[in-house]
Amino acid sequence: MENFLQAIDTLTIRFALAAVVLPLLAFVINICLPGKSNKVAGWVSTIAILLSCVLSAFVFAKVWNQHQVHQQQLWFTIGATKVYAGVLLNNLSALMLLLVSVIALPVHIYSTAYMKEDENYKRYFTYLSFFCFSMLALVVVDSLVLFYVFWELVGFSSYLLIGFWYTRPKAIMANKKAFIMNRIGDIGLLTGIIILFTQYHTFDLEQLFGQNGLVQSATQISATWQYIACAGIFLGVAAKSAQFPLHTWLPDAMEGPTSVSALIHAATMVAAGVFLLGRVYPLFNPEELIILAVIGCFTAFMAATIALTQNDLKRILAYSTISQLGYMIMAMGIGAYASSLFHLVTHAFFKCLLFLAAGIIIHEVQHIKDENQLHIDPQNILYMGGLRKKMPLTFIACIVAGLALIGLPFTSGYLSKDGILIQAFEWSEGKSWAFKLVPIGALITSWLTAFYVTRLIVKVFFGDFKLLKINPSIKLHISDGAWQYRVPLIFLAICCLFPLFSLNPVLYEHAWLFGGFSKITALDRVNIYHTIIPAGVNILSVLIIYWAYSVYIKQKALAFPETGFLFKLSYHEWYIDPFYNRFIIAPVMALGKTSQWIDRNIIDGFIHLLQRLALGFAKIAEWTDRYIIDGILHLAASIVLGIGNFARYFQGGKVQYYLFSMLAIILAIFLFKILI
Amino acid sequence: MISLMDFLMVGAGLFCTGMYVILTKRNAIQVLIGIELMLNGAILNLVAFGKYDRFNNGGQMFALFAIVLAAATTAVALAIILNVYKKYKTIDPGKVDGLKD
Repeated sequence: MENFLQAIDTLTIRFALAAVVLPLLAFVINICLPGKSNKVAGWVSTIAILLSCVLSAFVFAKVWNQHQVHQQQLWFTIGATKVYAGVLLNNLSALMLLLVSVIALPVHIYSTAYMKEDENYKRYFTYLSFFCFSMLALVVVDSLVLFYVFWELVGFSSYLLIGFWYTRPKAIMANKKAFIMNRIGDIGLLTGIIILFTQYHTFDLEQLFGQNGLVQSATQISATWQYIACAGIFLGVAAKSAQFPLHTWLPDAMEGPTSVSALIHAATMVAAGVFLLGRVYPLFNPEELIILAVIGCFTAFMAATIALTQNDLKRILAYSTISQLGYMIMAMGIGAYASSLFHLVTHAFFKCLLFLAAGIIIHEVQHIKDENQLHIDPQNILYMGGLRKKMPLTFIACIVAGLALIGLPFTSGYLSKDGILIQAFEWSEGKSWAFKLVPIGALITSWLTAFYVTRLIVKVFFGDFKLLKINPSIKLHISDGAWQYRVPLIFLAICCLFPLFSLNPVLYEHAWLFGGFSKITALDRVNIYHTIIPAGVNILSVLIIYWAYSVYIKQKALAFPETGFLFKLSYHEWYIDPFYNRFIIAPVMALGKTSQWIDRNIIDGFIHLLQRLALGFAKIAEWTDRYIIDGILHLAASIVLGIGNFARYFQGGKVQYYLFSMLAIILAIFLFKILI
Repeated sequence: MISLMDFLMVGAGLFCTGMYVILTKRNAIQVLIGIELMLNGAILNLVAFGKYDRFNNGGQMFALFAIVLAAATTAVALAIILNVYKKYKTIDPGKVDGLKD
């Protein structure tokens, strides 16, 4: 029996590994393919992700609500420390594995059409496969070191894809910004990992955070280190999941292709932060969880207010993503672990759908722009309107996703979001009034969401096409597009409805996904919140939707003055970017300039002084060498030369002269002898 | 009677004449004649001192060898002079100065 079980486990592990490695394989194949816009690349990546998807589904079926599968092998040894690498499949990672591959599949299919005319088609799919590999690997690994590696790779592939159109200066700025902000978070995560390792001497997630893991049982960690580790990990989460202090990269990241935004910056990668929280959840103590809840709630509220006034289609969606991520983080903070992950899953579907629909709209408006040579921003919703007749499928998809985002009944969003709201109220029960702010903030955010979603849909799909008003000669050839567009939309729209998650469209506790995370018990409908909150939220939401609809469609006088302080605050995104520019970037740049000045004038000056001194010494040495040492040598040489010349003078070539001198010398010797 | 001294005087005269010819003449043939004169002066000395060796006649024998050798060297020297003439078109020893530096 044991062996049989193990064999099944091994098979599961192999399937999971294959699901992870297939996109890597596609990445390698795509690198080797010839040509810049080789259409084969799209199919290679799509088939790889399709197979991953099937394998993930199998893994999910084997792991979900059953015992977790964990296998590891010795990776390397440093001193006495053994570092293991392996695969950890439990409910969380199996769910994420399935979610990532299922979301990636429609995005891949969509991309084959969306990127069709791009000259760097192959590069796009190469990066996309690389991202899928990193993300899938991130969710299954069991060691913090490997987790960090794939965390970085995910960030790196996101960087590549944001800057995919690297000839646009805005894209370059955006990917730099995303990269730097993520680095700030990565420092935090790395700090957290290092502290955890020094305290517990292992990187193993299961040993650290599993049942009876070291984090829960061991007591040797000091409070300070625990706080620093949590702060570090939270910094990582905030950067990756775009939470308040580090969220500004996400709206700018929308410079990438829309399909990328759908996959990476809405559905999967930004959820990696929430996933990390899910993995290390036992580490956080109650006070830290409160901080999480407050930051999450604040982010949700702030992003929702910003989304109210933005005019860029993708920017609105980006802020709504930040807002929803705030919800997830807040849910983690209030202990609604299951609801948080549930919301992660439902959000992935409807936000991906919204982005894909936005991609189609932008694509069509871009067509109009190119055909008529207009100077407009194809993403600006102020130019759109009345598209529902031209693009019925996109319209329906947007309505479904929008309702899910607002959280109206019969959608998946209702199940997950109301779960979070109810639990937020339960959490604040019996605490002081200040804690009430969190659920109330979340509640207000949910109404704000209703407003901005309605505004978005009304501006895009209802009324008249604004471009026609400006320029009546434009001919519109727009439609929902090819099957590569339609199929993902239909698939995702179905996934946004309640039957996928729960047979009961009203009660979130009945969702199967919710039951998979057993950390939360006491789901009895004990108090009034379970009835009053969904009812209250939804009735008000419907009213707000109607209000927004009437404000925008019936062209009533605008309800908000566009000059008010609140409008400006929202329109300028709470002035966070200017604030960062002035108080962080400017001082850093000033520091850089100062150090450059110091480097150039003081350090370089010192070096130049040294150089001059050395040059002077060299000149003296050269003079000595030339006139004294060489002089001696020349003197010796000229003496020898003089003697030589003197001796040579006798060698005139006249034989008789030699003979005569010989005779003279002999005579001289004889005379000399005689005289002496 | 002719004494030993007279032979030595004639020999010395021959030697000096030869030396003079060698040092002053501008013709290699004449230089060669001078060498022969010096040689003959020396041979005359050998023959003159031969009177102290009446039984073996060492002086005379040695003189004969010297005469033969002188003839041989003269032949060689004439051949050299001939070749020098072919090469330099002159036999003035002062002008044959190819070894001069």
